[in-house]
Amino acid sequence: MTEQPIIRFENVTKQYDDDPPILDNVSFEMEKGKFYTLLGPSGCGKTTILRLISGLIEATSGKIYFKDKLINHVPANKRQVNTVFQDYALFPHLNVYENVAFGLRIRKMKNDEIDKKVREALRFVNLVGFENREIKEMSGGQRQRVAIARAIVNEPEVLLLDEPLSALDLKLRTEMQYELRELQQRLGITFVFVTHDQEEALAMSDEIFVINEGKIQQKGTPRDIYDEPINRFVANFIGESNIIKGKMIRDFLVEFDGKQFECVDQGFSPNEPVEVVIRPEDLEITTPDRGKLNVKVDTVLFRGVHYELCSYDENGNEWIIHSTKKAEIGAEIGLYFEPEAIHVMRFGETEEEFDARLESYDSYGDKDAD
Amino acid sequence: MKKKSLSTIYLTIVFLILYAPIFYLMYYSFNSGGKMYEFESFSLEWYKDLFQNTRLLIIVLNTIIIALLSSAISTILGTIGAVGIWHLKKRQTKNVLLSLNNILIVSPDVIIGASFLIMFTIVGIKLGFSSVLLSHIAFSVPIVVIMVLPKLQEMSSTLIDAAKDLGASNFNVLTKVILPYITPGIFAGFFMALTYSLDDFAVTFFVTGNGFSTLSVEIYSMARQGVSLTINALSTILFLFTILLVIGYYFISKRNGRIIGLGARK
Ligand SMILES: Nc1ncnc2c1ncn2[C@@H]1O[C@H](COP(=O)(O)OP(=O)(O)OP(=O)(O)O)[C@@H](O)[C@H]1O
Ligand SMILES: [Mg+2]
Repeated sequence: MTEQPIIRFENVTKQYDDDPPILDNVSFEMEKGKFYTLLGPSGCGKTTILRLISGLIEATSGKIYFKDKLINHVPANKRQVNTVFQDYALFPHLNVYENVAFGLRIRKMKNDEIDKKVREALRFVNLVGFENREIKEMSGGQRQRVAIARAIVNEPEVLLLDEPLSALDLKLRTEMQYELRELQQRLGITFVFVTHDQEEALAMSDEIFVINEGKIQQKGTPRDIYDEPINRFVANFIGESNIIKGKMIRDFLVEFDGKQFECVDQGFSPNEPVEVVIRPEDLEITTPDRGKLNVKVDTVLFRGVHYELCSYDENGNEWIIHSTKKAEIGAEIGLYFEPEAIHVMRFGETEEEFDARLESYDSYGDKDAD
Repeated sequence: MKKKSLSTIYLTIVFLILYAPIFYLMYYSFNSGGKMYEFESFSLEWYKDLFQNTRLLIIVLNTIIIALLSSAISTILGTIGAVGIWHLKKRQTKNVLLSLNNILIVSPDVIIGASFLIMFTIVGIKLGFSSVLLSHIAFSVPIVVIMVLPKLQEMSSTLIDAAKDLGASNFNVLTKVILPYITPGIFAGFFMALTYSLDDFAVTFFVTGNGFSTLSVEIYSMARQGVSLTINALSTILFLFTILLVIGYYFISKRNGRIIGLGARK
């Protein structure tokens, strides 16, 4: 934490009239030069956060800082932030060149300087030669790149991107994911990227904020969030999960499905009821006598890279398995998993408590190593 | 196949009925006989008459000046009004203002004309050029508002957000985004106002005093004095002029159509 955060939210709440708040007491920090992703279902408040950062709306309460300067009441046109809008919002009466030049012309920059910058921005997004095209003559992916060029030509310190890839087909989308990530690294500025696609979030981000119903559920690197989801919502939203009720017998020993299993989690009270997460790809298919759990296969789906098996144990719990091995429908199979594959979640744990608990046994581990 | 020819026949008949009187009138404007029946021989004498009649030419000039001035001024006022109404936050005030605007459009010209006459006499404005101009502006403004407002409503609000995001002040947003976007609507409003002003009779009839007149009022009084084929000649020229206007409007809207089309597709 040597560098000051570029954006800081302190207990920010946004409320329209007397409706329940859309953002509820949200606090976070963003560092310079990182790729952040806001991930959450439709209507959870992602766009609202972006609009608060860009200044298009004002917070009902709380404080928003830009490099330690309070900016709650700074109007949008005075902020060093630019946005790539969900629908691109390109000006239909201007051609590609003039769309990109818009912000520079507002700033009354000299013509030859504008020309230099616009051409450079268009080169950045691989649109050289499209200067005189009308917007309606551009494809979806090209429009998006015009929108990006229009934003970065102003050299903002923070670029906000509101689901810019949602309108593209899968192939173009993957291509643009690479391009965006590369662009961010070349420019070295902070990107705040909004999506409701978890794979996109995992692939692109330095840090992900998982949001639900106006609250940030969990912040962390893609790995952290995937491996250690804080609650059922995050576990379900990021990738597929088997979530099952259990009981923490003591440190490193958890009980579910009527059996006890070794695990790597700790910091719970004895016999505390918990939820257990095992990712479908961490389950290995073996013979019933070698499995830690025995299940009966119900359906098998071919997913291209792997098979997706849906199966049930004797207590009626559903287990999703991703495996390159195929199994017959109706067959009894054994499931094997490592202790590390088990992730135990406490009920109603807040992010701070969760982090504190993880940290406490990090230091415990350090002591062990000494 | 049969259905298609039936509908063609129907349309042909309708358009024949609609246009027959006009063509009848135009046809006899070339009649040397001076009557609206018994075509004697082709002549342009009524047109010659027309162009030698300075009084009539001055009236034509008046009419055109009134039309251009009133439609230009009402386009400015109407556009400001439309932007104002569109900008209102409160749904209710918006609807009230829109209804007031629409009432002015549908209310009978006679009532508007009479009320203007009363107002001008009370306020003490001399009837003549300025009273006609003022009343034309007054009945054109609502028309411009109704032509411009849909363009504003179809404009995506994120365009304005984007402009602000790129550093535009409110004034910049107006001049660089909103006005260019609604230009087709403004043109449409201008042309509508122009045609309404050119052919208005009822309102003008009330507020022209002595010594000032517009074409429609003049033709009306000429027709009452007895038929002269100069009227036919004048009407023919007017008709051709209108057609030119329509063609001009067609080309302008076609040029702007690309923008309209794109806005609508969003
Ligand atoms: N001007 C407004 N007045 C009232 N409610 C609003 C307004 N703008 C947004 N909302 C509400 O705020 C909530 C969050 O909206 P927001 O646009 O931030 O969602 P989002 O996470 O971006 O969703 P999506 O993924 O669908 O874009 C929604 O329930 C929406 O209905
Ligand atoms: Mg959104």
